[in-house]
Amino acid sequence: MAGQAVLYEAVNVSKSYGSVEALIDVNVQLHAGEVLGLVGDNGAGKSTLVKVLSGVHPPDSGKLFLEGRERRWSSPHDALAEGIETLYQDTGLAPHLTIGANVFLGRELLRPGLLGRLGFMAQREMERAALHELAQVGVEVKGSRKTVSDLSGGQRQAVAIGRAVAWARKVLLLDEPTNHLGARQALEVLNVIRAARDRGLGVIFISHTLPHVLQICDRIVVLRLGRVVRDASTSEFDAESLLGTITGLLEKSP
Amino acid sequence: MLLVALGALVAYFAARAPVFLSSQELANILADFCSLILLGVGETFVIASGGIDLSVGSATSFSGVIGAFAMKALLDGHQNEAVVLAVGVAVCAGVGLGIGLVNAALINWARLVPFVATLAMLGAAAGMAIVLSNGEPVGLDPRAISYTTAKLGPFSYPSLVVIAVVAVAWLTLHFTRYGRYTFAIGSNEFAARAAGINVRRHVVSVYALSGVLAGLTGMFVYMRLGSGAPTAGLNDELQAIAAVVIGGASLYGGVARMSGTVLGTLIINTVTSGLIISNIQANWDQVAVALLIGLAATMQALRPGRRR
Repeated sequence: MAGQAVLYEAVNVSKSYGSVEALIDVNVQLHAGEVLGLVGDNGAGKSTLVKVLSGVHPPDSGKLFLEGRERRWSSPHDALAEGIETLYQDTGLAPHLTIGANVFLGRELLRPGLLGRLGFMAQREMERAALHELAQVGVEVKGSRKTVSDLSGGQRQAVAIGRAVAWARKVLLLDEPTNHLGARQALEVLNVIRAARDRGLGVIFISHTLPHVLQICDRIVVLRLGRVVRDASTSEFDAESLLGTITGLLEKSP
Repeated sequence: MLLVALGALVAYFAARAPVFLSSQELANILADFCSLILLGVGETFVIASGGIDLSVGSATSFSGVIGAFAMKALLDGHQNEAVVLAVGVAVCAGVGLGIGLVNAALINWARLVPFVATLAMLGAAAGMAIVLSNGEPVGLDPRAISYTTAKLGPFSYPSLVVIAVVAVAWLTLHFTRYGRYTFAIGSNEFAARAAGINVRRHVVSVYALSGVLAGLTGMFVYMRLGSGAPTAGLNDELQAIAAVVIGGASLYGGVARMSGTVLGTLIINTVTSGLIISNIQANWDQVAVALLIGLAATMQALRPGRRR
C-alpha cells in the first residue's frame, strides 16, 4: 500500500472513560483498498477506537482526517453521511425489526408522492431490495420478513456485515465480524471483506481470531492498554510473534 | 385472541344483565373508551420506544383544570361557546405538551430513567391540579356537555374526533418512518443511534405526543363533565399502561400494536362497566384489571421465541 494516499487517519487520539484511559495518543492510518488488522487483548482499546472512528464518541484530544480534511463527528449520522460504515460488536441490529427494516434502518425508502412526504414507507420494496443488497455482497438470507430475533447468531452476523458492506462508500469498520460464525461462514465473511477491499474500500478488521487476521490483513496495528505498540506489514508477523506482541511477552523475553 | 376475550366478556355481562347492551350503556362505554384511549395511544408510542409515561393521568387532570380556568374566564366574558371550546382544546393540548417536554428534558438531559422522571411529574401535576383548584371542580359549563350529547349515529362529535386521532396514530405507528424509528429505539437504542437516527429528538417527540394526547383527554373529560375536575385522571395512567400491556406490548420496548391497545382499552372498559351493571362492589374492577394484566403478561412471557 506504500505510496497510496491515506484515506482515513487518526492523529494523537486519546479517550478516557472517567479515570480509565481507553486510548492514549493513538495514531492509525488507513489506505483505500487496504485491510488493516486491529488486534489487542481485552481492554486494549480496540472497540473504543472503532467508536471514535465511527462518530459514536468524540475523542478527548487528537484529530481525525478523512481524505486529508480534518473532520469532527458530532454523531454517527455525520460519519455515515461521509461513507463510513461500521459493524459494532454484537449490538448493531434491532432484534424486533425485520431483516429488511434493519438493512434500511435510518435510510428508509418512502412511497412516492404525498404519502411519502407524510413519512409512509415503501415497506415491500425495502424488504425486496434488502435481500438483493445482501445477495450482492455475498450474504444469502431467506425471507426478509423474519425479525432478526428469529435468526441464528451466524445469520444475524451475516445480516449485520451485509448491511455495512452494502452501504459503505469509503471506510468499513468491522468489530469482530467473524464472531458467532462457524468455520465455513467465517471463510465466506473473509471473502466478502476481500471483495470490499477490491472495490477500493479501506477496511479496519478487528478480531481475536489471529489466523483470520494473518490471512486477510495487509497490515496489522497492535494495541496494548490503550497504546499502539506495533504497526507493521502482515508479512513481518507470524502467529507466534503476533501473539507475543499482543500479550507483551515478546519484549520481556531475551 | 383479544377479540375472543372481548366477545366472551361482553357475552357474559349481557347474559348477567341484559341492560348491558342497551344503547344508553353502550354510549357510556364509548365515552369511557374515549376518556382512556388517547392515553393508551400515547403510552403505546412511549412503551414501543422502550420508555414509560406515568404522568398521563395527572396530566389529564392538570390540563383539564388549567383549561377550565381559561374557559371560565372566557365564558364570564360572554364569549361564543365554539370559541371557548377551541381555546380550551388549545390550552389543554399546550399544557399537556409542556408536561411532555419536561418529561423528555428530565430523561434526556437530567438522565433520569423514564419511570422516575414521569413518576415525579405524576406527583407534581396531580398536586398542582389540586392546589390550583382547591380540590373543587373548576367552572360550570353545561353547554359543553351538550356537544357530547349531540350525535352523529351512535357517536358524539368529540368521540368522532378521538376515533380519528386513534386512526392517524395507528397509521403513524405501523406504516411511517416515525413509527419505525420508535420501534427501533425501543428494540436497541444503540443500534438506532448507530444507524444515524437522532434518538434524543425522537424521544422528545414521543413524550411530547403522549403529553398532548393527555391534554386532549383532559379536554374530553371536561366536555363530558362540564367542568375541570382535579382528580379527573386519577389512576388513569395505570389503566392506560394496562391496556397497552393487555394489547401485547412489551415493557422492554420494541413490541407494541395499536390494534392491541384499542382492544385492551375496550376490555378494561367492558370489565369496569360490566361489574357496575352487575351490582358488584365497584372497587372489584381494580382487582379484575390487575388479573387481566397478570394474564396478559404471563401469556407474553410464555409466547415462544419472544425473548428480550
